[in-house]
Amino acid sequence: MNFSQVTLQLLQGFGVTCLLFILTLVFSLPLGLLVCAGSRTRFKPLRYLTRAFVWVIRGTPLMLQLFVVFYVPGMVFDAPIFANLSNGRFVAALIAFVINYACYFSEIYRGGIESVSVGQYEASAVLGMSKWQTFLHVVLPQVIKRIVPPIGNEIITLVKDTSLARVIAVFDIIMVAENILSLHALIWPLFYAGVFFLLFNGLVTMLLRFAERKLDYYKI
Amino acid sequence: MKKSIITIVAVVAVVMALTACLAACGGNGKTDAEYILDKGTLICGITLYEPMNYADEDGEMTGFDTEFAEAVCAKLGIEAKFQVIKWGSKEVELNGKYIDCIWNGFTVTEKRKENIEFTKSYLNNTQCVVVKTSALADFISAASCAGKRGTAEQGSAGETAAKDLTSAYTASGSQMSALTDLSSGNSDFAVVDVVLANQIVGKGDYASLSIVQSIQLESEEYAVGFRKGSDMAAKVNAVIDELLADGTLQRLAEKYGVDGQLIK
Repeated sequence: MNFSQVTLQLLQGFGVTCLLFILTLVFSLPLGLLVCAGSRTRFKPLRYLTRAFVWVIRGTPLMLQLFVVFYVPGMVFDAPIFANLSNGRFVAALIAFVINYACYFSEIYRGGIESVSVGQYEASAVLGMSKWQTFLHVVLPQVIKRIVPPIGNEIITLVKDTSLARVIAVFDIIMVAENILSLHALIWPLFYAGVFFLLFNGLVTMLLRFAERKLDYYKI
Repeated sequence: MKKSIITIVAVVAVVMALTACLAACGGNGKTDAEYILDKGTLICGITLYEPMNYADEDGEMTGFDTEFAEAVCAKLGIEAKFQVIKWGSKEVELNGKYIDCIWNGFTVTEKRKENIEFTKSYLNNTQCVVVKTSALADFISAASCAGKRGTAEQGSAGETAAKDLTSAYTASGSQMSALTDLSSGNSDFAVVDVVLANQIVGKGDYASLSIVQSIQLESEEYAVGFRKGSDMAAKVNAVIDELLADGTLQRLAEKYGVDGQLIK
C-alpha cells in the first residue's frame, strides 16, 4: 500500500462521511424547528411527550441509538428492514443522526426564541403588528443572529460524530482506515484520516465565519 | 391533572400495542434452513483479514473462508454473500437476521455454544505470544511472561490465555489494537491467533514484532456459527464432509497456507 493507494481508498470512505454529514444537516435543521415547536406548544400532552423524547435522545449515547435504529427491527420484530436495502446501514445511520441532531438543534432554537424579551412583543403589539409579523420581522432576525455560533458548534461536532456510524459497519473513512490497518499492518492511515477531518472542519469554520459576517449589517 | 392522566393512558396504550405486535410478528413458521434456502443467499458475516477473508488487488473478495463458503453454497445451490461487520456486534447481527452465519475464523468455545449453533470444526488454531523482536531473549518460556504487561482482544480466547500468563493484564478492543499496544510500548506481549499473527507480524508497522515460538499455548478450533437451534448447521456439516472427501478443502488449505491446521 503506497501513499496514493491509501489516499484513494480513504477518499472513498470520506465520500460516505461527507454524504452522511450533508444529508444529516439537510434533514435535521428543519426537523429541529418542528421539535422546537413541539416542546413550546400550549397543548400539554404534546409538550411533555416532545420534552421526554428530547430528554431520551440527549440523555443516551448516540452509539446506542445507532444500535437501536439498526438492530431493533430485526431483533425484536423479526423484520430486518435495513438488511434488504443495498445501502441499508447508511440509511439507518442517517435516521439515527437526523433524530439526534434535530433534538440538539431544537434546544438551540428554543434558547434563541426565548432570549427575545417580552418588551419587544409588547412594543410590536402597540405598533399594531400581528403575531406572525412580530415573529417574522422582529423575533426571527435576532434569533438567527444569536444561534449561528451554537449551531456552528454542533455542525463541527457532527463532522467528527459521523465516524460513529462504523459501529453498524458503515464504511466511513475511519472504518476504511481500520481495515487498512488489519489487512496491511499500517497504522499511519488512521492518523492521515484525521487530516481529512481537520481540513474539512477548517472549511466549515470559514463558512460559518462568512455567515456571521453576512449577519453583521445589524446589531442586537 | 386530568390531562396528565390522559397522557399516561396514551403512553401505556402505545407500549401495549407494541408488545402485542412483538408477540404476533415474531416467527413465520419456517425453519432457519428453509428461510435461507428460500431466499437463495447465505449472508456470511466477516471482518477483513488475511488469509481468511480479504480483498485481492482487483478488489475481489478472496481468502480461505471466502472460497470455502462459496464452495459450500455452490453445493447447496445458493449464493454466498459477504457482509463486513463489527466483530463486537456479531451475535446481534446474527440474531437480527442481518447475517445468516459467522464464517470468519470463528473460535468454538463452551460459552459461545450457549448462544450459537456451530458446525463441525474445520481448522485448528492456536494462540501465540507476540513480543518486540528486541525483547525476544526475555521470553523463553510461559513462566517468563509472569509479571510482564500483557494484552489481548477483549472477550477472545487469547484473553483467557494472557490472564493465565500474567497478572498485569489489560484488554484491547481488537487483535490489531493489541498488536498496536505492543508495538507502541504500552504492553510487553500480546496474545493473538496464530493464523492472524503469521500474516501480519513482521509486516508494515508491525515489522519490529516477532512470534515467540518456544511458548506453546492451548489450541482451539474454528467452525461456522449459525443462529442457536438452526437446522442449517447440519446441512452445512454434510457438505463439509463431501468437500473433505473430494479434496476440495485440502486444495484450498494449501492455496492459503493453512494446510497444517486443517481438521480432516
